[in-house]
Amino acid sequence: MAININETKSAEIKPSKSKSGKGKAAALGPPIIVAATKATSDPKGGWKRGVGIFDFVLRLAAIGAALAATATMGTTDQTLPFFTQFLQFQASYDDLPAFTYFVIANGVASAYLVLSLPFSIVCIVRPHVVGARLLLLILDTVMVALTTSGAAAAASIVYLAHNGNPNTNWNAICQQFNDFCQRVSGAVVASFITALIFVFLVVLSAVALRRN
Amino acid sequence: MKPGALEFRGSTSTPKNGVNRGVSVLDFVLRLVGIIATLASAITMATTYETLPFATRFIRFRAEYNDLPSLTFFVAANSVVCAYLFLSLALSILHIVRSGARGSRIILVLFDTVMLGLLTGGASAAAAIVYLAHKGNSRANWLAICRQFNSFCERVSGSLIGSFVGISVFVLLIILSAVALPRRSSHH
Repeated sequence: MAININETKSAEIKPSKSKSGKGKAAALGPPIIVAATKATSDPKGGWKRGVGIFDFVLRLAAIGAALAATATMGTTDQTLPFFTQFLQFQASYDDLPAFTYFVIANGVASAYLVLSLPFSIVCIVRPHVVGARLLLLILDTVMVALTTSGAAAAASIVYLAHNGNPNTNWNAICQQFNDFCQRVSGAVVASFITALIFVFLVVLSAVALRRN
Repeated sequence: MKPGALEFRGSTSTPKNGVNRGVSVLDFVLRLVGIIATLASAITMATTYETLPFATRFIRFRAEYNDLPSLTFFVAANSVVCAYLFLSLALSILHIVRSGARGSRIILVLFDTVMLGLLTGGASAAAAIVYLAHKGNSRANWLAICRQFNSFCERVSGSLIGSFVGISVFVLLIILSAVALPRRSSHH
């Protein structure tokens, strides 16, 4: 906490100079503790403004990651050049409901991030605003849950596609659909990065909400 | 009130201090609910097994939670989150007693968010596998095993509910901590 020393000194001098007029300072005797209010400790909101700028930059990075995840998963389509009796020869994201949910979740996260940029700018311009920061924190928390759930559901299906499962007789389809599996794994990694950035955003908003 | 003026805070609780204390008590109660929910989920999933009375050439006749790695991760995640909630009860009680402890509230927000991510990851990975086990997938040639292992599937689906209750508890906990942070209180 940055305590303004000049104001402290003026509060010390006052009781000795004027004993009658200023009742509030004279009645105290030795000056005790100066409770730093909002105006004296952080009038320009310096570090809160820095936190707000960092928040904005992280949001831009998260937009990149979420859009990359959505686009990579949404445009994945692999058609094998041969045709067998047992396996379908085409794989795309809407064959597996977990991947469809992944695309929806990351799409919602990207749209939310783009819409939250103005609120982030408001938090930079006015560092002491509480309502906008609280709103961003609440929505960011919900987005952590949404993004992580989409990424984890897709990750479990990708793991199954890579390794198969002998206990339930599920075959590893990645051995045929190699390119599809690689792209999908990359999309899942991008989504986990988005979730991590959301966690940072929540903690940043919590730090900036502190009363000085 | 001029800036820099000396402020007196009495020892009686102001209304805002009361709101902070109420928020901290609600935080404690929510943590207890979360402990119960995640513990129930972990135990239900871990004690689920089903043995079919017959054996065929293609399908195993016994299903357990550690046959599927996602369900194993689910049990592990719920156990870790349950242990974390139990340990964070101490910090929660501290916040009830001293309503103005801001640094520890931010640490609690950080850990709550990380645990929210872990819990959501475990719950949705297990949910994806359970959905697959119920419906199967014709494209990947994956059979729906729930047709044979009926009670196994039912118990596993039920244990997911406790985990989702835990997720909403965590979201509420983070929002409560965020609401309590900018409030002025008498203890610093």
